[in-house]
Amino acid sequence: MDALTTILNGVPATLGLTLAALALGAALGVPLVVLRRSGNRLVAGFARLFIELLRGIPPIVWLFIIYFGVGTTVKLSSWTAATVGLGLISAAYMAEIYRGGLNAMHAGQWDAAHALGLSRTAIITRVIGPQLVRVSIPASASFAIGLLKDSSVAYTIGIPEITSAAREVSQNSVDAMVPFLLAAGVYVAITIPCAWAARRLDTVLRSRVAR
Amino acid sequence: MSTPRPVAIRVTDLKKSYGALTVLDDVSLEVREGEVTAIIGPSGAGKSTLLRSINLLEEPDSGEIEVLGSVVRAADRIGPKSLNELRRKVGMVFQSFNLFPHLTVLRNVTLAQELVLGRDKKQADDRARELLKRVGLEDKADQYPSRCSGGQQQRIAIARALALDPRAMLFDEPTSALDPELANEVLLVMRKLADEGMTMVVVTHEMRFAREVSETVVVMADGRIIEQGKPSQVFTEPTHERTRKFLSVVLDR
Repeated sequence: MDALTTILNGVPATLGLTLAALALGAALGVPLVVLRRSGNRLVAGFARLFIELLRGIPPIVWLFIIYFGVGTTVKLSSWTAATVGLGLISAAYMAEIYRGGLNAMHAGQWDAAHALGLSRTAIITRVIGPQLVRVSIPASASFAIGLLKDSSVAYTIGIPEITSAAREVSQNSVDAMVPFLLAAGVYVAITIPCAWAARRLDTVLRSRVAR
Repeated sequence: MSTPRPVAIRVTDLKKSYGALTVLDDVSLEVREGEVTAIIGPSGAGKSTLLRSINLLEEPDSGEIEVLGSVVRAADRIGPKSLNELRRKVGMVFQSFNLFPHLTVLRNVTLAQELVLGRDKKQADDRARELLKRVGLEDKADQYPSRCSGGQQQRIAIARALALDPRAMLFDEPTSALDPELANEVLLVMRKLADEGMTMVVVTHEMRFAREVSETVVVMADGRIIEQGKPSQVFTEPTHERTRKFLSVVLDR
């Protein structure tokens, strides 16, 4: 069988895992940043500790803790373990990205929204949220590209993604070079257009709303 | 003399401090309907804090605020309902404009009309265009605020506040971020608004505006109102030494 075809068969798993973890992280990052910015110092401190723990432990160790450790008491599929593991790490990074964006936002935006009598929900969804998404795009894109590469650790718990496919080809063909170079090429073929698209999107939005 | 107009805004014994720093020290103020009140004084006097307390962007430690019949006591827990009731009656304009940069000029003026007053898109658009025309910017409706000069942005901010049909307007140093030429176009809009009988409270360093447009000048220093009266009196024969000093500095420029 063609080595490249086999490796390309790993692309859906890599993309699927990356997108699922990113979506989980983007969603969980919201409550996490709210807790992190809480006026209650105990709550804020706890959220900060949680974020630092998630960011301080290597992804592979997290996956092992969840899949082999937690997996002994709760039945977890490798997909669930990988998505939850990378999703939690993403939540920590996304919370920090959101926090940076919120800190950069002019306090006057909240003042104006409050003075207009907008409800809390409206302020978040119509005023602060859209601006936050925009300022978070560059950092989120860098993180997403890193996550796509980090998703390769999921091969250790049996997810049939790009690296795992390359390893399989390598073992079957006793070629340690070509399959991994092909895998590298496939990763780059995904990350470079993503980086380019993110930059382009950022430029377009920036030119519209630049202050 | 005509009969005195009813009180629109009444602030009673307002106190506010940040830690050891007292920014409002027992401040009381009355503004009558249709009256233009200018608040002047050295920086750090508490002018902006007083203004921001009127619509509760700043929560006072104690005291009472009454705006056109809505009463809020600092001692009570202020619920979102009474907060919105009060804020609906007053519009506010800020030194830094604070337009929403991700929305077009038109959307800036229609957003709160739809979300707060429940107007439909057509009603809100019509009202917004009418107000943009009034401030001389109907051709900017589809632009983003970043494409407008500071003076234009501030006029849009005034239109945005007026769109909710407020019964009083608060201006927090509306021209301080603008160079004189742009400041002038904003002041012209404010004069027009005053002529139409809008109740206005203006924190300002524009002494000419305070002198020519306002009916009452309030002088603040160190968190207190040290003097207030008609501009002709405050500017020509101030009773307080501190006022005299402040005026001699700002009028000599």
